[in-house]
Amino acid sequence: MSAIAVAKKDFQDAVRSRGLIALTVIFVLFTVGGAYVGTQVAGVFGDEAGDTLDLVYALQSPASFLVPIIALLIGYGAVAGERERGSLKFLLGLPHTRWDVVFGKIVGRSAVVTVSILVGFAAGFVAIFAFTGSVSPAEYVVFTLLTVLLGFVYVCIGVGLSSMTRSTTRAAVGAFGLLGLLWLLWGFIGNLLLYLDTGSAFLFESPAPDWYLAFISLPPGPAYGSAIGAVLGESGFTAVSFYEQQGLIEGGLPVVAEPWFGFVILALWAMIPLLIGLLRFDRVDL
Amino acid sequence: MIRTVPAIRLTDVTKRYGDETALSGLDLEVKQGEIYGFLGPNGAGKSTTINLLLDFVRPTSGEVRVFDFDAQSEGLAIRERTGILPEGFSLYDRLSGRKHIEFAIESKGVSDDPDALLERVGIPDAAEKKVGGYSKGMTQRLALAAAIAGEPDLLILDEPSTGLDPAGAREMREIIRQERDRGATIFFSSHILEQVDAVCDRVGILRDGELVAEDSVSGLREATADETTLIVELDRLPKNATEQVAALDGVSKVTTQGSTATVSCRDDVKTRVLRAFEDSGATVENFEAEESSLEDLFISYTTGASA
Repeated sequence: MSAIAVAKKDFQDAVRSRGLIALTVIFVLFTVGGAYVGTQVAGVFGDEAGDTLDLVYALQSPASFLVPIIALLIGYGAVAGERERGSLKFLLGLPHTRWDVVFGKIVGRSAVVTVSILVGFAAGFVAIFAFTGSVSPAEYVVFTLLTVLLGFVYVCIGVGLSSMTRSTTRAAVGAFGLLGLLWLLWGFIGNLLLYLDTGSAFLFESPAPDWYLAFISLPPGPAYGSAIGAVLGESGFTAVSFYEQQGLIEGGLPVVAEPWFGFVILALWAMIPLLIGLLRFDRVDL
Repeated sequence: MIRTVPAIRLTDVTKRYGDETALSGLDLEVKQGEIYGFLGPNGAGKSTTINLLLDFVRPTSGEVRVFDFDAQSEGLAIRERTGILPEGFSLYDRLSGRKHIEFAIESKGVSDDPDALLERVGIPDAAEKKVGGYSKGMTQRLALAAAIAGEPDLLILDEPSTGLDPAGAREMREIIRQERDRGATIFFSSHILEQVDAVCDRVGILRDGELVAEDSVSGLREATADETTLIVELDRLPKNATEQVAALDGVSKVTTQGSTATVSCRDDVKTRVLRAFEDSGATVENFEAEESSLEDLFISYTTGASA
């Protein structure tokens, strides 16, 4: 109950921030742009039934790029910011535990990110309808829900990092350092290891080593792609499924690279930073 | 609540931040139903003590209990019975005053009327206004309204008159009295004596993390009644002079500034104090004696070099 009161207050507070409005506008522009590109691609292939799926392909990239940024921007100041400004003294002076505060923040900020995603995707939905005159709502809804899940995972990461420090600067460095690691370094490290293992930094020959397929499936982005593939029963949302189509994989996927395992990976990404943040926040002097 | 249980009890509490000792071996007991003034200069450890009560920080050693609940393991039970006006806090700039009070009411699970609370602290017209536009004094009043919501058994007020003008400070004291009369215990800290003097049943004076005096206000007055403050101007201050004077029976405090010594002592030892200075090799150039006020006592307890 207590966490819900915190969440409600936090949502009312955060949803009034101008930054959120700006982020949502950018997101709308990207989904409408993505919808346009998606429908153009569908038109090229003359594939009417695939409209929504093509749209999902087209929107997956901007979503997996923008949603983490939005969620981290919304999340990183959640706890550290209140500590820095001193409003945490007011909040914790009321009968809430520190866990209540962190969980309330997760719920409140997730709700904020969800609003942003829903606005963006509603615009995308309207756009594709305007461009093509037909949409398959079921696939679109599934895609939207999984994107909300991705947003939730990054809110957990952001709030987790925010709970570890009293400085919003440090929380921001942590959050965007992590994005740099996941988006830039991860692939590079993968290629480096692949080079050390096989003598080539890129996959040209079959079979792809299992460890490499597992490694590139681990960040939240690929896990999000895996989850979309698992639910929609389609391939093409992850690099692994691309390699599969190219015939570079023999003898099945390692379990980590299985589409359904994307959900497990997302859950771990949500829980591990959050748990570390909670344990730390629960112990420190404020 | 069993009336015999102390509202607040600290037993041999030490708190260190790194190498710095904020509190050392503090024992403190506040009875239910009293207004306890917690006095001391800035940096004496008042806020650390309050932060310990609220479980914002944890003791290095010792035990902190509020209504016999352990501050650390039963902090929620404490805060369910306690209204808090913290020091150095901020509120949510984008939310209105009423939203804050509604949030406090919901958090405490009570059913107070937000408007009545805002009325009581004197800011009924600011209910719809966003707190970002509040003055420091209005913010302080709003936080007080949140603190007294739900009639808590204990009110912890850290420097409550911060940002208030004299009239506002008087209203604050009035509310403190009303809350005590309703049956609440009030623990409030201040570095300004007159606020404590006007309203407190009992006063504790904290200095450098230790309780250096504790008594009722009238008790402190009595203790100071036959006290004299002797201001002695010397040609120079020889080594050990301070120690020799401080060691005299009837001398409670010696502070020095340059070659001027300020001595708090019993009326009848004045001449012995002067002789002690002369014995140490100094020449008394001038001296002045004045009756101690509570203010002097406070200042002698909380400032200057210790004897």
